Amino acid sequence: MPRPPGKMPSPTALRRSSGGLRTPLSRRTLLRGGASLAGLAGLSACGAPDPNAVRYGSRSTEAIPKEAFDNVFAAFKAETGLTVDVNATDPNTYQEQINSYLQGNPDDVFAWFAGFRARFFEDVGLAAPMTHIWDEVGDNFTDAFRTACQNEAGQEIVLPFYYYPWAVFYRPSVFEANGYSIPENLSDFESLCEDMQDTGLNPIAFGAADGWPQMGTFDYLNMRINGYDFHIELMAGQQRWDSEEVKAVFEQWKDLLPYHQEGALGRTWQEAAQSLQQGESGMYVLGLFVNQQFAEGEDREDLDFFNFPEFNPSIGAGAVEAPIDGFMLRNDPENPEGADELLRFLASAQAQQIYVDTDPQIAANVETDTSGYDPLQIKSAELVANADNISQFMDRDTRPDFAATVAIPELQRFLANPEAITDITSSMQAQAESIFG
Amino acid sequence: MSTATVTKDPEVRVAQKRKLTPTRVLLYVFLTTMAVAWLFPVFWAAYNSFRDYAYTAQNGYVSFGGFTLDNYAKAWADGNFAQLFLNSAIITIPAVIVTLFFSTMAAFVLARFSFWFNLPMLILFTAANLLPQQALLIPLFRMFREVGMLDNYLSVIVVHIAFQTGFCTFVLSNFMKALPQSLTEAALVDGASVWRQYWQIILPLCRAPLAALGVLQVTWIYNDFFWAVAFLTSGDKFPITSGLQNLRGQFFTDYNLLSAGSIMVAIPTIVIFFVLQKQFVSGLTLGADKG
Repeated sequence: MPRPPGKMPSPTALRRSSGGLRTPLSRRTLLRGGASLAGLAGLSACGAPDPNAVRYGSRSTEAIPKEAFDNVFAAFKAETGLTVDVNATDPNTYQEQINSYLQGNPDDVFAWFAGFRARFFEDVGLAAPMTHIWDEVGDNFTDAFRTACQNEAGQEIVLPFYYYPWAVFYRPSVFEANGYSIPENLSDFESLCEDMQDTGLNPIAFGAADGWPQMGTFDYLNMRINGYDFHIELMAGQQRWDSEEVKAVFEQWKDLLPYHQEGALGRTWQEAAQSLQQGESGMYVLGLFVNQQFAEGEDREDLDFFNFPEFNPSIGAGAVEAPIDGFMLRNDPENPEGADELLRFLASAQAQQIYVDTDPQIAANVETDTSGYDPLQIKSAELVANADNISQFMDRDTRPDFAATVAIPELQRFLANPEAITDITSSMQAQAESIFG
Repeated sequence: MSTATVTKDPEVRVAQKRKLTPTRVLLYVFLTTMAVAWLFPVFWAAYNSFRDYAYTAQNGYVSFGGFTLDNYAKAWADGNFAQLFLNSAIITIPAVIVTLFFSTMAAFVLARFSFWFNLPMLILFTAANLLPQQALLIPLFRMFREVGMLDNYLSVIVVHIAFQTGFCTFVLSNFMKALPQSLTEAALVDGASVWRQYWQIILPLCRAPLAALGVLQVTWIYNDFFWAVAFLTSGDKFPITSGLQNLRGQFFTDYNLLSAGSIMVAIPTIVIFFVLQKQFVSGLTLGADKG
């Protein structure tokens, strides 16, 4: 048979000539396809809310915090008979996803931070105020905590659970061997750094590759040089970044940079902490979580901290950076009574005690029994209890979009080129204006 | 093939006797360097996945010792890997099967019939491949929110199918065009319906490109967590790729543990590749020429 040119005729052409096609799909195939589609749809679990359960959105997926929360929720069940349905997402994804998570079908109670970073979600109606809970449990927390948990109208929107302070960490064994003493003010601090350099020690461990650790140094310098109020106003967009005050902070930082570990932009905080661990660096300005780098036991016991020293006697060293982690309440929760019950329980000394027994954080509730604390926890609690003011860390005290898109790259630019202060501060001001409006 | 037959092969014997010229030495040096450069990070991760974090923190990574298997057990338990592997299977298997099924059907019609819309359709399928997926994130998110399909595997599966069908159709239609027309003509003369021509004549011949696409699709869909993170909100529904995030803390990351997790997560794609390796290699070139 000679091969006709071109392709086969189309099925419609075929139908015209031969009077119709046979059904391409048999009934059995159709049924099979339908069944598998139904199976797919069944993958979505949908049900009416259970009145005996409270849904909780958790960002604790690591072994220790997870176990600590499990213990807390077991106690909650024993107390109230209510089950907590935990929806745990790892902390990094949780933070990146928070916007879409809250716009979807969020859990009734969800983990979040105190400070400016909480207000946005309450502002846009994704989270609800919890003044009715605070009216009952407010005495458990200091006024500094209450302020940190309020929105701009003065309503409480966050329930604090635990916190960790930022400070200057060091190895007591290194200080002892070299006869160093804890610096009280700037000149002590500078001479300590010089002593360390003389003995071949790198004075201040420093890693800026993660983007955020250097914010802690900026926060402390700003609070020590310009005071807490100025710092908070600057973070809220009410002070100018190109002001003389901010420039003074960068100038001071520039003077201290020679004492910092070189090449910080290529180093993560864990690598910087490692240099403290291995005795190459003398001090490190970081949060209490630095202790996770040190193995439990002897290694971790040889770690201590002191408050960031005073730079100006008229301002003092009363402001402490201590980010607070806590809970927020979803707007229009599915089980409002259960959610309130859970929040009330989480505010109690009992619940916070159970938590810190497993995960060595510092409980926010002042009634919590501290007898089980390790020395660093006790010291942290004292530092924060004696603080005049508590700041929350730059990325929680300012708008997240300012922290991520402006502060991180500009601070890194400063570390790469400390001479460009005027340029950096005016660029930050211009961007702050466009973000804060 | 046994080693005995290899040495008897005349060509191989010639190769063994070939003189080592300076160019050849240079070639070997270059190839060895490249191979080491590519493999080093993988072996480095594998090596450190068997070491204790406390040991490497004390002694640095350039050291020897601190060996343990704990990282694997811990990663499996802490990362909730059993559940997340299952989730990945729930997303990947239907998505790949349906994608391949749809694209073979589309490719069959586009390649074997001459409709006026064949070319525009093919252009559309190819062009849609060039569209950045991120651009569609917000409209898709809003759409799924409206119809209540957020936090549902189906939304992720459907989006994967929609995005992958274009590429598969393009590849398959090129392959099917290369198959002789006489095959289906003969079937047509014998009274085979269009479905039968597709199902019993063309599809069995597509085994090689289907295997190749299968490997690629499994790897792409399995490795993706952009859509999963966008549409799923329950931590226990996430695919395994996000399980690696479970191994990172808010601040502290045990990189040895993370290496152990990464090795485990990489295993399924490697297994799929080796199982389908033969078809994969032949499938890649099969559609390339019009035979």
